[in-house]
Amino acid sequence: MGEDWTEGATIGGLAVPTEPDMVRLRTDRHAKIQAQLESQDIDGLVLLGSGGVAYATGVDAPGEDSGRAGLFRSVAVVVRGESEPHVYTTYWDGVPDELSADHVHGPLFPDLHDGIDQFAKAIQGHVGAGARLGVDEQTHPMLEALDDYEWTDAGSVLGPAKIIKTPDEVSAIRAAQRLTEQAMESVRTALRPGLRQTDLSGIFLRRLFELGATANAIDPIWQVMTPTRAQGPWTIPGDLAFPTPTTDQILREGDVIWVDAGICHRGYASDFGRTWLVSDHPAPTERQASHFQRWRAVVDAARDMLEPGVSALELGQAAIEADNGHKPWLEHFYLAHGIGTDSAEMPLVGTDLGDSFDASLLMSPGMVLVFEPVIWDDGFAGYRSEDIVAVTDSGWVQLSGSRYDPFEVAP
Amino acid sequence: MALEEGGRVDFTRLRHERRRKLFDGMDAAGIEMLVLGRPANVRYASGARQLWRTGANLFAPLCVVIRRTEKVHLLSSWDEGVPAEIGHEDLYGLFWNPAHLIAALREIPGFVGAQRVGTDSLTPFFGRVLRDLVPALELVDAAPLLQRAQAHKTADEIAAIAVAVSLAEAGLSALEEALEPGITERALLGAYLGAIASLGAPTPPTESVVFATPRQGPVRFRYLASERTIEQGELVVLAPGAFYAGYEGGVARTRTAGAAPTPEARRLTIRCRGAIATLVGACRAGNTGADLYRAWESTGEPPAEVALANGVGLGTEAPVVGFGRGNDAPLEEGAVLSVQAWVSQEGTGGFLQRELVQIGEEGPRVLTRSERSERWAP
Repeated sequence: MGEDWTEGATIGGLAVPTEPDMVRLRTDRHAKIQAQLESQDIDGLVLLGSGGVAYATGVDAPGEDSGRAGLFRSVAVVVRGESEPHVYTTYWDGVPDELSADHVHGPLFPDLHDGIDQFAKAIQGHVGAGARLGVDEQTHPMLEALDDYEWTDAGSVLGPAKIIKTPDEVSAIRAAQRLTEQAMESVRTALRPGLRQTDLSGIFLRRLFELGATANAIDPIWQVMTPTRAQGPWTIPGDLAFPTPTTDQILREGDVIWVDAGICHRGYASDFGRTWLVSDHPAPTERQASHFQRWRAVVDAARDMLEPGVSALELGQAAIEADNGHKPWLEHFYLAHGIGTDSAEMPLVGTDLGDSFDASLLMSPGMVLVFEPVIWDDGFAGYRSEDIVAVTDSGWVQLSGSRYDPFEVAP
Repeated sequence: MALEEGGRVDFTRLRHERRRKLFDGMDAAGIEMLVLGRPANVRYASGARQLWRTGANLFAPLCVVIRRTEKVHLLSSWDEGVPAEIGHEDLYGLFWNPAHLIAALREIPGFVGAQRVGTDSLTPFFGRVLRDLVPALELVDAAPLLQRAQAHKTADEIAAIAVAVSLAEAGLSALEEALEPGITERALLGAYLGAIASLGAPTPPTESVVFATPRQGPVRFRYLASERTIEQGELVVLAPGAFYAGYEGGVARTRTAGAAPTPEARRLTIRCRGAIATLVGACRAGNTGADLYRAWESTGEPPAEVALANGVGLGTEAPVVGFGRGNDAPLEEGAVLSVQAWVSQEGTGGFLQRELVQIGEEGPRVLTRSERSERWAP
């Protein structure tokens, strides 16, 4: 059953706050990482990827191209048993206020051979040689300078910690989603034939930062869907190509566009997916309205059975059944994915990991799911939107908005 | 870029020359296969235009270059944005199941039989995969060969950077226009992003573009745009960038919000201009990063709080000269550097100037057209 946000929905017995308490959120995340280090007998973590660093330390970084984000990356070091993480960063103004001064250090540049001895020295200062350390990426300079540790994939620690969100994290995702939806409303109302895809990006980004977002996460997608699959790009599995990057192509009357965008607000991702119609008077045809109804039915079928203990396989089967035995999602994607400090993370529902994986993935309070089924009616394009929900102690709450203009839910 | 004439870049030639340099580099290093995961390297090798995401994402085998077959294989489920020289048979799909990815890599002609393999990074998991798939594996760092190939820019690459610089300068104009007392740093950032997007280039090199500097207390370089409202008379750093066909352009200027600059601000301007001129003057082939550090020291400014320079091409690239790094990094002829000077004065604020400099045969060539903005200068 879907629960009203305000009517006492709980995760682990705790109510989801209207606004996240970011200090408590970071403290809880650190405790979850520590619990995993302890139970897996891992001595610490060394993290280089933006998502992992944000999760472990709470350090904010500007939205950046991968090259700059890599060379000037922040590095997180979590030592088992310590009450706080260490961060090595140039972005001193992104460091959480509560982090002790002796846990905040200058940058390490693990991508460069030059100065890699300082990196090695920093790690040696935290954990002795021979320690077992989780790491998310290993640059060649690191591999050469730090060969006296036992390196293991940090995913074994981060995965179980990240998959269950605290009530504050759920609130943070909802806040990011709300900002995204507000900015998108400005785009939708401005949408008309003759604009370029990149004009829509401009309207979105301008509005997003006026509203106070802290960072964008991807180049927003406004893909024009060809009526038939064959008219679209060639694909390996023979399925639809989506999402393809935005260009400055001009949008025309009658175009069906699939919108997909996400930001990173205070370290948490949003995911906005809708189908829009490019027209001076956007109104779905009966056929288009039926695509939306099919999409709604698929999401409803999965959501209706969503509660702790239900498996990912059961969610997928419910979705397939609701679309008359047809698998209503893209071959290379999923029916649903999780979201948190990364835009797509576990739990993944309906991927090529297969039925046995899905059967073993059981829903738990604090998991967040982004449902993104795809309805395709070859010759008439199709419909795709995204609904975000969090699993609660007894059901779920909706984190994304309930408007699908210009499509409406039938009364 | 709506017109077919585009940016006066011959993209077919551009890609061909990049691949040639890559293969030459592989020959010189005796490397039979490259497995690339950094988006800029993937673009350099493949020329494919793929979805842009922010941040440092983890290494994954996104692109495989086989020397023997001269083929570039790309992780892409479709051919949209993929240049014609990469055939359908050279694409491999997006998988969540590692077993499927491993099977796809195994199918790439030349993958399993390779011996000396270069990667641009690694994960513990992919290290194991590579050792399993390639029985005779000799793993090497691909970064040196990639850097050598990428450092010297071809004429087409310079042309692309010049377009990116123009876009960044248009972003600067938009920032100058929107800068007024009462606007927040984030709203100003939004005005810039809106401007470059409406020019067809919506992805910024960084969102670290705007910060106001305080007229009281210590002044530090800041990276994150905040909800802080900009006040009349404050010195505000404007540091826009842009991409064209993946190539980065960027510029930084500092302006006084809503007022004529004070005499103190003018003095800071002169200090900054002197420092940037000294740095640019040291951008000569044969010099190293140490010469940039020495140039900075010669200005009498305190040790720099930010990097003095970094390479620019398909985004930010090596070398980094700053934070004690890059002393031995050679400044190579044909490379493009983003060079910056940041000076500050308690009671006045801070001043940033950033230029893009090509290291030419005859000396440094400034690609940013600073005179364009002189009318705005304090």
